[in-house]
Amino acid sequence: MSQTKIHPDQMYIEGLAANDSAIIQTIYKKFVPKVVMFVMNNSGDKEHAQDIVQEVMILLFNQSKANTLQLTCPFDAYFFLLCKRKWLNELKKTSNKGVTINEDAVSINESALELIGHTEEFDEKQQLFDTMFQKLGDKCQELLKLSFTIKSMEEVAEKLNVTYGYVRKKKSLCVGQLTQWIQEAKNFKSLKNN
Amino acid sequence: MNEERYILFDQYLQGEMTVEEKNSFEKQLSEDHEMASEFETFKDVQLQLKNKFEHDEEREVFKANLTSISDKHFNVSKPKVVLMKPWYYAAAASIIILFGLFFFDYNNPTFDDYNNPETASFVERGDSDTNLIQAQAAFNDGKYDVAIPLFEAILKVNNTPEIQYFYGVSLLEESKYPRAEIIFNELIAGTSVYKEKAKWSLALSKLKQKKYKQCKEILQTISQDYENYDDVEQLLDELD
Repeated sequence: MSQTKIHPDQMYIEGLAANDSAIIQTIYKKFVPKVVMFVMNNSGDKEHAQDIVQEVMILLFNQSKANTLQLTCPFDAYFFLLCKRKWLNELKKTSNKGVTINEDAVSINESALELIGHTEEFDEKQQLFDTMFQKLGDKCQELLKLSFTIKSMEEVAEKLNVTYGYVRKKKSLCVGQLTQWIQEAKNFKSLKNN
Repeated sequence: MNEERYILFDQYLQGEMTVEEKNSFEKQLSEDHEMASEFETFKDVQLQLKNKFEHDEEREVFKANLTSISDKHFNVSKPKVVLMKPWYYAAAASIIILFGLFFFDYNNPTFDDYNNPETASFVERGDSDTNLIQAQAAFNDGKYDVAIPLFEAILKVNNTPEIQYFYGVSLLEESKYPRAEIIFNELIAGTSVYKEKAKWSLALSKLKQKKYKQCKEILQTISQDYENYDDVEQLLDELD
């Protein structure tokens, strides 16, 4: 990311990462009504809006926990656009009807767009990862969970009652399986785009 | 799967190679474009695993808090109060009563109408796993708060769809929706005999949260072969 100055609204991101109820409530009060309006004016209802907002909040939580979210534009524009684009994508998925996108006349600044690009990429990557992780067998899931929560592989081996060598090999292979699937999905996608 | 390659990747990242091995690995990487790209993905996956598990608990707490704030936000928006002249009240009241009489049966269905958790019977004769025995007893007595930690302990050593299902139902009974729904969604994604039951439970979870529309959408995905399909039809009727 560029070395542009961080916007003071970064406090909202940090509040989300810290699970600060006051900040979360402020976001709902100040920024969510606009999203609700948009969704309701575009073939959705309140429940849809509630879900979209929640998805975006969780996404921001995850991205800030991964330390890759630094706000360089006002939170308002960033948050609204993310929700808006997520909802329009949702519409495209569920309805066969053509979706008319009413682009606002307001010009969106460049850094907001760039930031949204990053967040959407993060979202896409994480969704792909989550899907593939769910495809792994229970044994692999359990072993990976232990390996990444208990730092020492010796302890993991002890807990699972197997040898250190076995855990190490198995872990490489489980990560390898994920790598292979994700790599295949990526290759497929780049084929499709070319 | 190229097993050797992944073992090599891990050894390199853990710094377990000799200098020669390391040099030859790096040389290979610089020459083999496909392998280099796979190595990048491998590192990325490790990072994602780290993020996933390092913040797992925090994430669940955050989600629960978020859901409660969100529900509060979306339900408090009461209609505006319009001042009325006194005689309007009498007229309005009688109309409301009339409507009430007519539409009394048309109220939205509630979770309690459909909340009949089945009896758990996963303990077999001769089973000596105390967690299992206690969990079953607590569940059948409706002490879900007691059953939940027991199920969690069991799942750590014996992760079966059956236990997951009863764990999910307990979470739902205790209104721990996000966690319950994760469990049900996992079961729905799987192929066990609990697949359709999990859909039904997920629908009930939405019903309990008064998310009628989502409840209906989930009900519509339940197979007609589901053993209690009568309930599904009845609830769908009532939601219309």
